[in-house]
Amino acid sequence: MRILFVLFLFVLGCSSSVDEPIRYFKVETPRPFGYVNGDEISQRIIFETRPGISLERASLPGKGPLNRWLNLNDIRVSQADDQHYQIDLRYQIFYAPLEVKALTLPSFELQLNQGEQHLSQTVPAWTFTLSPLRELVVRQTEQGEYMRPDSPPPLLNTRPALYGLLASVVTALALAVALAWQYGYLAFNGRRRLFKKALRTVSGISKNEMATGLQALHHCLNTLNGQPLFVHQLADFYQRHPHYQALHAQWLWFFNYSNRFYFSPGMTVVSGDIQQLKTLCQLARSIERGSR
Amino acid sequence: MLRRLKHPLLWGALALSLSATLYQAAALYRVQHDNDLISQLTAGQAVDIGPIVTGPPELRLARAYYFKQKHRYDEALSTLSLIVGLGDPQFQALVRYNLGNLYLEQAVTASHEQHINTAAPLAGLAKQAYRQSLALDSSNWDAKYNLEVAMRLLPEMDVLIQAEDSNKNQKTQLWTTVPGFPRGLP
Repeated sequence: MRILFVLFLFVLGCSSSVDEPIRYFKVETPRPFGYVNGDEISQRIIFETRPGISLERASLPGKGPLNRWLNLNDIRVSQADDQHYQIDLRYQIFYAPLEVKALTLPSFELQLNQGEQHLSQTVPAWTFTLSPLRELVVRQTEQGEYMRPDSPPPLLNTRPALYGLLASVVTALALAVALAWQYGYLAFNGRRRLFKKALRTVSGISKNEMATGLQALHHCLNTLNGQPLFVHQLADFYQRHPHYQALHAQWLWFFNYSNRFYFSPGMTVVSGDIQQLKTLCQLARSIERGSR
Repeated sequence: MLRRLKHPLLWGALALSLSATLYQAAALYRVQHDNDLISQLTAGQAVDIGPIVTGPPELRLARAYYFKQKHRYDEALSTLSLIVGLGDPQFQALVRYNLGNLYLEQAVTASHEQHINTAAPLAGLAKQAYRQSLALDSSNWDAKYNLEVAMRLLPEMDVLIQAEDSNKNQKTQLWTTVPGFPRGLP
């Protein structure tokens, strides 16, 4: 048993995995064939370092041309935590082969830091094949060498302006409807037009037609109240229609005047009464349409 | 307070939305008009330059397209050079592709006429334009194809680069061998 334990310690001591700076290293590449001039090739490097070891980002290849036919268009390093790295590289090939040709993405060294100590990990070269786009004996046209024509200029996108127009029209319509509602112009909104009708009636009455004016206003109040409204029910009425409480004094005058007009014999209507009734009607109308 | 403000606010909002409606209607009309101009230019019809100068870069691209159709290369080039770098990456890629075609067509003509000194720099400019176009949009097959045309047009371009490299090597060799230069000579 002791011998086995000593043997285990010996094997553990000889193992190099403890000292390796990188626990896991993988290079993900796409298919190694079927590329043509101008294609982009993505490469992903995934690795995990031991604790305390970090990637020296300055050691990564910079964007731009790497050689005559290879560009590095993009390089992104992302880190899940202190140990897990992912490097995404996007290469682009500019090479016009005459036949299928094998090319190689160059290898490079990843520099790793552990305190003041510098370590490195090689990203291996990757070979792929590139195919030509043109035949060897090139066809000729009337203009000479066959080439692809110009791209026709694209038409401007009308959608933003169209959507903007639709949105503003819909908004304007909605606001117009809201205002029409407020002013009682909508046919189905009878309650919003009660005082409007009454004001029209009261505006045209003479001293002899005072009863018509009073009836018109009573009709408004009764309709709003849902049943005939009397002066002692005003507090209850205000609870359901609080905006009309602002005219409390005028409502009291109206009920008193109406009482006297119908039940006091010999009541004489003066022009001031009609004017007061008209003013009350106007104020009630302004509350009805939400102006007050 | 809010109740009193409701009406002025509603009227104000209505006025604003009506102004926005007018503005958007005018914008839509402008876009439609510009699209008509683009269609005319693409069909090879000349249009007044006024709206193009003040219009979006797409109009200038259409004008360059028109000039190229008429083989007015210098005007097409000066029009395209005004819009290189404008617009989104897709549009820039398109402008650079058409610019590459402009150079390549002239290079092909020059090479057929055996004007190699003219063709070489034009093919180089075409390659550069196609590379830039493909860097912005690598899915453009036409740009890939024409880049290959440009690369094959003057294969000595590569030879020239190699010759340059060998010159450098020679220079390096010269420097290292200068100390021994008098060998065998007076």
